Amino acid sequence: MKKTDKSLIDAHIKGDQNAFGEIVHRYGDSVLGYLIRMTGNREQAEDLFQETFKKVHEKSHTFKGSEFKSWLFRIATNLTYDGFRKRRQVESHYKQINYTNENNKELVASIADNSNNPSTVATKIEQIKQVRQAIDSLPDKQRATLILAYYQQLSYREVAAALDCSIGTVKTQMFRAIKTLAQKLPEVEL
Amino acid sequence: MNKKEQHLTEQELIEFQFKLAPDDRVQEITQHLESCNQCREQLEKLKRKFASLDLLHEEVRASDDLISQVVQQARKPVKAKIFSMTKSAWLSAAAVVLIGALLLISLPDTDIQKKETQEIDTVKELKSDTIERGFAEETTKEPATLSGSRDISEKSYAFAPPAKDESPQPVLGFASESDAIEKPSGFKEDIIEQPPFAPASSIELVTLPRRENVQLTIYNSADLTLVREKRNLVLKRGWNWLQFMWANTLIDPTSLSLEPLEQKGQIDIQALVFPARLRQIGRWLIRSEFSGQVPFEITYLTSGLSWRAFYMGTLSEDEKSMQMKGYVRVSNNSGEDYENAQTRLIVGQVHMLDEIASLARRQYPYGSPIPIIKKNESNVLFFDKEEDRLGKVLTLGDEPIVGWALKAPARKEIIKEGLSEYFLYSIEGTETIENQWSKRLLSFEADDIEVESLYKYDESRYGNQTIKFVKFANDEDHNLGETPIPDGNVKIYGVADQQGYLSYVGGTDIKYIPVNEEVELNLGQARLVEVKPTLMNFKTDNYIFDSNDNITGWDEIRSWKIEVINTREIPVTIEITRDFGTNFWTMQSETPYERHDVTRIRFNLNIEPRVKREIEYTVTTYHGRRQDQYNQ
Repeated sequence: MKKTDKSLIDAHIKGDQNAFGEIVHRYGDSVLGYLIRMTGNREQAEDLFQETFKKVHEKSHTFKGSEFKSWLFRIATNLTYDGFRKRRQVESHYKQINYTNENNKELVASIADNSNNPSTVATKIEQIKQVRQAIDSLPDKQRATLILAYYQQLSYREVAAALDCSIGTVKTQMFRAIKTLAQKLPEVEL
Repeated sequence: MNKKEQHLTEQELIEFQFKLAPDDRVQEITQHLESCNQCREQLEKLKRKFASLDLLHEEVRASDDLISQVVQQARKPVKAKIFSMTKSAWLSAAAVVLIGALLLISLPDTDIQKKETQEIDTVKELKSDTIERGFAEETTKEPATLSGSRDISEKSYAFAPPAKDESPQPVLGFASESDAIEKPSGFKEDIIEQPPFAPASSIELVTLPRRENVQLTIYNSADLTLVREKRNLVLKRGWNWLQFMWANTLIDPTSLSLEPLEQKGQIDIQALVFPARLRQIGRWLIRSEFSGQVPFEITYLTSGLSWRAFYMGTLSEDEKSMQMKGYVRVSNNSGEDYENAQTRLIVGQVHMLDEIASLARRQYPYGSPIPIIKKNESNVLFFDKEEDRLGKVLTLGDEPIVGWALKAPARKEIIKEGLSEYFLYSIEGTETIENQWSKRLLSFEADDIEVESLYKYDESRYGNQTIKFVKFANDEDHNLGETPIPDGNVKIYGVADQQGYLSYVGGTDIKYIPVNEEVELNLGQARLVEVKPTLMNFKTDNYIFDSNDNITGWDEIRSWKIEVINTREIPVTIEITRDFGTNFWTMQSETPYERHDVTRIRFNLNIEPRVKREIEYTVTTYHGRRQDQYNQ
């Protein structure tokens, strides 16, 4: 039977060395996906990924047993915001995310694998770039809401817990993000 | 039309598609969509619009390496919480500490000294004990060292670190290499010999106190300012990192220097590191045997600060004396505010290898040198002549009764002193020079400067116009002469009427005036004093012919009348220069004149108020073989 998040955390606190590994395996892909979408940069996302789970490890005794997923994403979100703030202090143009294929290596590779037509590949890459730019143009909170709700498939309740706000606020942020994106997203064929 | 029959709005469709609507409304919209083709089409359109979002729906996988790193990290034990306290417990603890501190203060000194001696003994025992057990291998924080406890007694038992309450300064960051591991009070360990490669984490960086003081030495021959600032840093015993950032400023990172002002024997500045991939950041690695607050001096060069001199003179009614005020305007475009800065201004030429502004903007501080800046060829410094001509200084003319109305209650003196090849002007006290601001300061003020008001007419230099000059000397006789007068723009005003209103007479740029040198200020064309030369007669004479009857020599004889009109209410002195264009000439005139040089003569005339005077002269010039006869 699948162990609950709470029982894994309890086991980890008690010194079960496998429990933490199971947590990381369970949520690793989702957290990393969230961080990559938030930062637009895999290297930075991996750093934040490590910091997130480090924090989970250090603060595991403070987890009260509510929604672990929301708690985990709240840690990841706070660290991401901290990272943004620090980078803004260090260089004013931190948002100069490199939209070269370097950042989308895996995605570009998968597009190229699935299409033999070079022009289709080029068009898709350009569209991906536009979508990324549109998402990155959103304010931090709207971006976090959209990514958590749309890409990470968290319910609005979970998003609200992760962002430490009410469901109403989440819905407002989501609606604003959608309205903004409607102006910026490229047309694609279904 | 009831709600069911109304078409859905874009907002409703978005809310439906993204599940933002409440459940009952979702149900209504679903029912409506079943029966409304138009709304279904709208919804499809909306879905198409947002279909591109799915392009980023790619599956992300955390690599096994990454996961194993994270899991490995979690194997380290979590730092145990020592104890936790509620708010009230904290307050009680604070009260106990306060009472304890008061009791300590009330103890006689001898008791404290005794206590200290006891502590020293304990520490000595502890230290030897610890080394034997091999503890000294780690670098650790030293929470309350011996020197620390002395600091506390000297500083009236101020337990908080001195820097803590001061407001943070964004430019500098300070990092300690130590980890926060608690050790017994007085515990002192050896510092590890191997310096750390980098700060353990940027999270450890803490802000520094503000500058204690700052001194600016602004050179104007080049875009160069030397900044010396004093800051009190709190060092830990061991390896320390001091971070310096110069983003958005024009600081030359290659010029950075750091020196402790106290505890020099115990503090060693080992290196200045420019970390790879981090732009515009430098970190000093400091090895310190001392723990506590140390004043440091940081010096560097920056560009973007400049100063210019300008002057205002007011002529007396009779134009025989002048009141003069000299100002300097200090401008800061360096990207950094300098609060309460001691400011010194340098006149002199500086040899520059690199342009500071370019160095500041470099991605990496060191690299190939930038091309050498073009040096000013003259000995006199101040570039930027155009800037003043284009009107920056002219804006000062908008102020009421220019110059004289600018009376500050406590005016700063500008102290001047010679400095080798340079001349140094120090502004008294301190000045706050904020970024993007300029500040004007009075440099000197001299009354009753004896001046000579002079008009000049010289066609070869000024064309057919009379030019007004004011002449004086930078010497003691003219109530000046304390210092050289730097280049700058000068504006002269005259008393326009009996009420004492001023009128603008003219302005010009002046070059550097050394002490005891004379200066003539060209104030432009005079309109109330006119000089009109007229050629009255011209003839040739004394022809010489060769054997073929060709002309080989002759004389030209010209008679001139010069009309000089003074429409002013005061007598004027006019200097009229006539150029004959040849070395071979003779002159007849009843008006006295002086030979100015080989081709020119000069009349010096004093003309009474509202008088027109005529002078006449005849000049004979010799040409061809007549020149030989002239020489005989």
